[in-house]
Amino acid sequence: MKKTLAFAILGAGLLLTSGPVWAHHAFAAEFDVNKPLILKGTVTKMEWINPHAWIHIDVKDAATGQTTEWMIEAGAPNGLLRRGFTKASLPAGTNIVVEGWQAKDGSNRANGSNITLPDGKKLFVGSSGTGAPFEQK
Amino acid sequence: MTLRAFASIRTLASIRTLTSIRTLALISLAALALPLGAQKAATKSTTYKTPWGDPDLQGTWTSDDTWGVPMERPAQYGDRLYLTEDELAARAKQVAASKQRIENPSDANHSPAKAQLDAIERGEGGKGGTRGVDAAPVPGQFGEYARRASKQTSQIIEPANGRMPPLTEEAKERQSAANAARRKTPETWTDWSIYDRCITRGVAGSIIPVIYGNGLEIVQTPGYVAIRYEMVHDTRIIPTDGRAHAPSSLRSYMGDPVGHWEGNTLVVETTNFNGKMGIGPNGGGVPGSLDMKLTERFTRASDNTINYEMTVDDPKTWTSQWKIAFPITHEPGYEIYEYACHEGNMAMRNMITGTLAEQAKAADK
Repeated sequence: MKKTLAFAILGAGLLLTSGPVWAHHAFAAEFDVNKPLILKGTVTKMEWINPHAWIHIDVKDAATGQTTEWMIEAGAPNGLLRRGFTKASLPAGTNIVVEGWQAKDGSNRANGSNITLPDGKKLFVGSSGTGAPFEQK
Repeated sequence: MTLRAFASIRTLASIRTLTSIRTLALISLAALALPLGAQKAATKSTTYKTPWGDPDLQGTWTSDDTWGVPMERPAQYGDRLYLTEDELAARAKQVAASKQRIENPSDANHSPAKAQLDAIERGEGGKGGTRGVDAAPVPGQFGEYARRASKQTSQIIEPANGRMPPLTEEAKERQSAANAARRKTPETWTDWSIYDRCITRGVAGSIIPVIYGNGLEIVQTPGYVAIRYEMVHDTRIIPTDGRAHAPSSLRSYMGDPVGHWEGNTLVVETTNFNGKMGIGPNGGGVPGSLDMKLTERFTRASDNTINYEMTVDDPKTWTSQWKIAFPITHEPGYEIYEYACHEGNMAMRNMITGTLAEQAKAADK
């Protein structure tokens, strides 16, 4: 039995009896579900800040040789830390592949879901409860 | 002890926290297992007392074990607060599966939501779909989880049906007015909840469990109990001499708490709210009125459990009083981390630029 969450149900998915439909970093208000992307880049730094951590990567365009900076939104560091994702998990210089969705305003920002490390290991860094596509089927 | 001394304790705790984060980076999660003795004042005797003779509630506690228990009771349980033995056994299986997956992330569970949906498809999902007491286990790489199966069918224990009492007419009008004023997409900072603005989650919202950030720390001194909540870094300083409340002209998000001891129970009465916070996860739900009074009871039940209870008294909002209750536990290795929030709250700004981009696109059409 496939469970389909209506796309209109954004927000924390918690028992809020009142509150904006798009509340709490709602995915669709910030990121475009029609702009999925895969970025291959090198970690330059990771901001361990609440409410969301941000992973900065340099993405090199193979064709032009030009490098662009991207910011990837991840979950809250307090949560990441307790699950063993530490500052040592993504040191600067690590080459990663990021799956995500681009920001609605077209800037070099994306909401990250899976990150694949050089050894093939996958880390899920996404935020839960935001109505992101990976929370729906 | 002065309030300034409390500020020093908090700074010290922050420094300890930063050091701890560095230390954690070097130690794998599996190795973390602080002995129970690390919990302050955990003694072998069955009474827990501070050196000056007050009941001892000190330490780090979390409401993680109640994550997944809904605030309001699903109708099928009727007036039953506790699960039957069979129901509890079924929930215990799910809790164990969830705990196992979260503690052992792998390629298979790198997408928690997808893995949960897959578990449901395989028939391991229980009856509750993706949410609630009977939900399929949610593996994940960043969320919190219950370490033990809660016996409760709901967090609300009173009234008997485990649901919030009906709203007053006045509250319903307040609610409709607020809903009518709400925008469809966020355009300015006041379009977000007090929580999303990184201001506070309020008294109830700071302890009702959500997907992470459910920890709190209790520090005591003769005449005061301080409670520091991880998210969103609120600290309540509660005098325990049963003094009068602050004048009614003084209002705040967390209200004015006054405590006293009843045997081994700390009773905290909080008034002087500013009418902006609800009783629900992250302070959501219908905001309590200016007249709201919250009465909490903290009772140390064992080395690693405090029984927590909150009574909500707000005749302007609900037609009768109601209570939530659940245990908070001490877990080896669990510590409070800093939750600075406002400084990093980029998502709010980013959502506004998203809205502006959409509006510009629509205007061009």
